Amino acid sequence: MVGLTLGLCVMAFAFLALGMERHQQAVLGRALDAGRTRGFRIAGWCALVITLRMIVGEAGWAMGLVYYAGCTSLAAGIVYGAILWRQRARA
Amino acid sequence: MANPNDATPQVRDNGRAPKSAKSTKSTGTQSKGVRQSMSDLHTWAGLLVGWLLYAMFLTGTVSYFKEEISQWMRPELAHQQQVPDPAAVSQRVATTLATLADGTTQWSVQLPTARSNLASAFWRTPPGSAQKGMFQEGVFDPATGHAVTARDTLGGEFFYRFHFQFYYMPVMWGRWLAGLCAMFMLVAIVSGVITHKKIFVDFFTFRWGKGQRSWLDAHNALSVFGLPFHLMITYTGLVTLMTMYMPWAGEVALKSAAQRQEVAAQLNAFIRPGKRQGVAAPLANVDRMVREAQARWGENNVLRVTVTNPGDASARVAVSRGEALRVSVSPQYLLFDGVSGKLLETHDHVGGAAETRGVLYALHMGRFGDLPARWLYFIVSLAGTAMVGTGLVMWTVKRRQKLPDPMRPYFGFRLVERLNIASIAGLSIAMTGYLWSNRLLPVALPHRADTEINAFFAIWAATLLYALVRPAKRAWIELLWLAAALLALLPVLNALTTQRPFWRSVAQGDFVFAGFDLMMWALAALHAALAWRTATHRPREKAAGKRATATLPQEEEA
Repeated sequence: MVGLTLGLCVMAFAFLALGMERHQQAVLGRALDAGRTRGFRIAGWCALVITLRMIVGEAGWAMGLVYYAGCTSLAAGIVYGAILWRQRARA
Repeated sequence: MANPNDATPQVRDNGRAPKSAKSTKSTGTQSKGVRQSMSDLHTWAGLLVGWLLYAMFLTGTVSYFKEEISQWMRPELAHQQQVPDPAAVSQRVATTLATLADGTTQWSVQLPTARSNLASAFWRTPPGSAQKGMFQEGVFDPATGHAVTARDTLGGEFFYRFHFQFYYMPVMWGRWLAGLCAMFMLVAIVSGVITHKKIFVDFFTFRWGKGQRSWLDAHNALSVFGLPFHLMITYTGLVTLMTMYMPWAGEVALKSAAQRQEVAAQLNAFIRPGKRQGVAAPLANVDRMVREAQARWGENNVLRVTVTNPGDASARVAVSRGEALRVSVSPQYLLFDGVSGKLLETHDHVGGAAETRGVLYALHMGRFGDLPARWLYFIVSLAGTAMVGTGLVMWTVKRRQKLPDPMRPYFGFRLVERLNIASIAGLSIAMTGYLWSNRLLPVALPHRADTEINAFFAIWAATLLYALVRPAKRAWIELLWLAAALLALLPVLNALTTQRPFWRSVAQGDFVFAGFDLMMWALAALHAALAWRTATHRPREKAAGKRATATLPQEEEA
């Protein structure tokens, strides 16, 4: 359950990163058009909300929020590391 | 957008167009935007208590695994395959304490859990006893109820206590000091958030190999990703000791002792001994009472058993509920008559204010957490430690570029630089050294537990001395390598000095010992990577004039 939450959070943050031009350059090597950029952003935020709904539904508000806070922090760190790694690999 | 060289050296107001004529005219230090003031506040609030905060953060972080550390530090106690029955354990310990703490007015025992293979108890020093202090404490083997035969050590409990009350000073002073540091931390977090003007735009940004810029990006990432945790942990840290820090409301509002007791009952399950009747009466069997609690809360969900006035007709027994998956430390307990064993009261809820505090307290401790939750706590808390560490280092990185003579920095710079080395690299060595001393000190040494702790501080002091006499960069590299070596070799030392080497732990499915060894290697790798990066780092050379213009806009964001 926590593993799935973490996975979904990583996906959500990856979408949010791809919704930013600087990271499109780093990951894809080119900038995406405005429509796709917006699409990634919306997908990212939606994924974050849906994940919250899921974990709170599974574990209740108390434990759900604890897991969610931990997973979002860790997921952001994972995506950060991945972007950095891509950037270094390209450079 | 991110080019730091395109800005003029003029101090800008949040990077936007100047709002008033006044701010356009004055340059330099006269007029400061909100962000610049907050940046200064952030820098100095963080620096002043930064070294203590780093130590509080790191020892607090490892305290999420304090039971496991305690297990590792008592290798004589076999790996616990399954949790022993709480009712049977409490009865065994009660029998031992009846003689060991004969005449006491109160004893309390915390029962073993899936994470702890000990029953730990404290009791009030019996009146007229030769022992010093108000309370005595001891750890007991759940299987026999006798005092454990393992080596004398405070185990992970030392890191936990150091985390909020330090050492070598009265406990209350330590807690006040910890509260002061936490308050500074709260100020640093809030001012840091205000200072950081591009939280969303720079969310994932890391600019590699850009000196101060890279440090700032790393510091921001560590802070922002874990921000919910950092805010929560600092605020709730203050809440855990709030009645000590701010007793006045209670003193004014609560007139009688009865009222005070009523409030205390809302905060914890610590019952106070009532008036003795002076009529001798044997304590009823506590195991029957614990079974009643088990029926209510679940087989392994009993936290502790507290007995007041044992042996007297006024005896009371409180059996309190475990904390697993319950995000609140608000007391839930059953109160029994200690002689007849009859259930007198059931406490299963508290008022709204007390419950709020119970939840905040629980969030800080994280004791409710299952294994995934505890790992999340540990990792994000470690990021918080790194946040404080990068903040401390950044103070010197930022100022090193502007030193008039880098070979001979001024006193304040040298002081911060050396304290950073000892408090960051030195603490890793001291904490690992504490674990080494656990394995190396003779098992029968008198005052062994104290000696381990003295070793911790002696090693820490030695790293400070070393940092003072060596060139700063060399000191960083050498101490980080030493930390890596000590961490990496700890499992080897464990294999040589105990019957529980890594391969045997794996074979026996002992994930506490196996996990401990793996964690040491992971931390060793982390320290080695830091040492290697520091050693291969070549500071960028820049022309003096260019540097002066380039640093200012960066400073605003720092």
